[in-house]
Parts: sequence; C-alpha cells; structure tokens
Amino acid sequence: MRRWLRLACLPALLAAALARAETPVYEIVIEDHLFYPAELEIPAATKVKLLVINRDPTPEEFESYELNREKVIMGGRRTVIFIGPLEAGTYPFFGEFNMSTAQGKIIVR
Amino acid sequence: MLLDIVVIVLRETLEASVLIGVLLSLSQRAALDYWWLALALLGGALGAWAYGANLGAISDWFDYTGQELVNAVLQYCIYLQLLAVAVLQYFPGRGPRRCLQVLLVTAVTSAVIREGSELFVFYFGFMQGGGEFASALTSGFIGLAIGLSAGAIAYFFCVSRRASSARLVHAFLLALIGAGMAMQATGLLIQADWISAGRILWDSNWLLDETSIFGQLAYAVFGYEARPSATELGIYCLAVLAMGAAMFATWRWSRHAPAAAP
Repeated sequence: MRRWLRLACLPALLAAALARAETPVYEIVIEDHLFYPAELEIPAATKVKLLVINRDPTPEEFESYELNREKVIMGGRRTVIFIGPLEAGTYPFFGEFNMSTAQGKIIVR
Repeated sequence: MLLDIVVIVLRETLEASVLIGVLLSLSQRAALDYWWLALALLGGALGAWAYGANLGAISDWFDYTGQELVNAVLQYCIYLQLLAVAVLQYFPGRGPRRCLQVLLVTAVTSAVIREGSELFVFYFGFMQGGGEFASALTSGFIGLAIGLSAGAIAYFFCVSRRASSARLVHAFLLALIGAGMAMQATGLLIQADWISAGRILWDSNWLLDETSIFGQLAYAVFGYEARPSATELGIYCLAVLAMGAAMFATWRWSRHAPAAAP
C-alpha cells in the first residue's frame, strides 16, 4: 500500500522539484544597511527566487508592501524569498530595521 | 531612526493588541478571571525570546523557508483557536468556560510569540549595532502605547455593546481577525513557494494605503491587503464562512437544546 502511495506521489513530487529547479535565481546582498543591487530587473510573468545575503552582523527585515513580502534575515546569514509572477512595473522594497538607508526596487519588464 | 522605531514597534504590536482587546472583552462577558492574560503574556514573552534567539537556525530549515512555515503554523493555530473560542462562547457551563480560558491563553501566547520575536530580533540587532538603548526603549514605548491604545479602543467598543448584541459583535470580530490570520499564513506559504498565489485580483492602495495608520489598523482588524492574490482571498472567504457556519450551528443547537448544554 505504502509502495503504491509513493508511486502515485512520484509525478507530483517530480513536477514540484522540476518547477523549483527551473525558477531563476537573483541575488541581493545587504551590506552596511544598503541593498546591492538597489535596483534589480526581472522578467514579467515569471516566478523568481531571490537569494538575499546579509553580510552585516546585525539582522535586517526584507519588506515590501507592493510585493506582499516580509522576512527577517539574521546577521551573517542568507535566505530565500520567492516573488512573482508579476506584471511589468516597479515594486519597491526596504529593510524595515534600517528604513532610512536600506531601500531598493524590483523592476519587472 | 527614533521615528522608525516607533513605527516598527507600533506595527508589531497593533495586531496582537487588537486581538487581546477583543479577547479581554469576551473574557469579561464570560465572567472569567484575568489570570489567563498574565499567563499568556508571560508565555508569549518567553516564547518570543526563545523563537527570536533561534530564528537564524529556524530560518535555514526546509531550504531557507523555515521562518515562513513556523509563522504560518502559528497563525493557522491562532485561527483554529479563535474558531474554538467563537463556538465556546455559546456554552455557559463550567467545563467549556475552563476550555475557553485555556484557548484564550494559547491564542494570545501564539500572537505574542509571532509579533514579539521580531521585536526581540530588532532590539537585539539594535544593541549589537551600538545603538543607544535608552532612546530606542523610549521610542519603542511610544509605539507600544499607540498600539495598546488601539487594543483599548477594541476592548471598550466591545464592552460598551448591549448584552443582546455583544455576542454577535464578538462573533463578527473573531471571524474577521481569524480570517485575517489565516490569510496572512497563506501569504507566508506563497512566499515560501509551498502553494501558488494565483493572480493578483485588484489594487486598492489608492483607496486605503496599506502603510497609513488606517491601513495598518484595517490590516490588524480584518487582514486588509491592498493587492490580494486569488489564493489568499479564497482562503479568507473560506475561513470566514467556516467560522460563521460553526457559530451559527452552535447558536442554533444552544437555542433548541438548552437543557443539553452543560
């Protein structure tokens, strides 16, 4: 029974793994409470994976109302945030713990 | 920076504060002792400290989506606890009242862990970065005071209702707050790529700016999202309907079988 269940789930698991593998990855680095790059261009109608690397020793919160995303990244660590598929436009994001400096934009074309 | 701290603390405390205000008024209507709130705040503070202190390691779980998953579980749990609270308010017996008290503790503890852990991480980072703790604490206190005022307004709004309409007001608010929690949890699973978002249905930011104080208040009370996805809206509607149906069924049962109620 368990074997049949595994076999039945296999196509779905494979499809999910393939979908994840095909997702393009974009890197954003946090350093001195700034985002690098501060402007990131991504394709429209495509789900992308943001790899956010925090090189500061202090934590930061990646936040965007337009993208509906919010995530804490501890100091010296990295994380992953999925965004999209999005329509063409500009989607600002910011670091909530350092709002005066940590500002950026995702430009979707 | 100090204004930023006011905003951060306000944003993190507003939602939990409104929830506590509504549950506190419900507790008063059910004539419960207030010890549950002290217990919940203590448990929540300890939980927030433990969660915040281990957030780095937790975030690395499941291909760096651990944070989303833990937060989503916490928020779905709050929804389920509010659903149980909404149903139990129709049972007058001693046993259900005890259950109600336990649920109030767990719901508030979960909410405080969820929001408090981010505050813990923020203050920890602020100190690590060499920030001036006294001014950060003062600014945080101002944000906390504004957040608590919103909770006080929710409390007094509920307790000032007449007895005949109080239960309906509580039912309505619990359904909205609970559905907002379920929707936020769904948003986190979308962010972690565990479920698909579907398309964005509309953009009402021109009507009510999410970043404004009213936008934040609407977010705290009924999970307002200016750009909801089809999946989020679907879960929101389902959560409201499930809670509404459960309360309606219990209300009908309590009317038709009053003797059976413990």
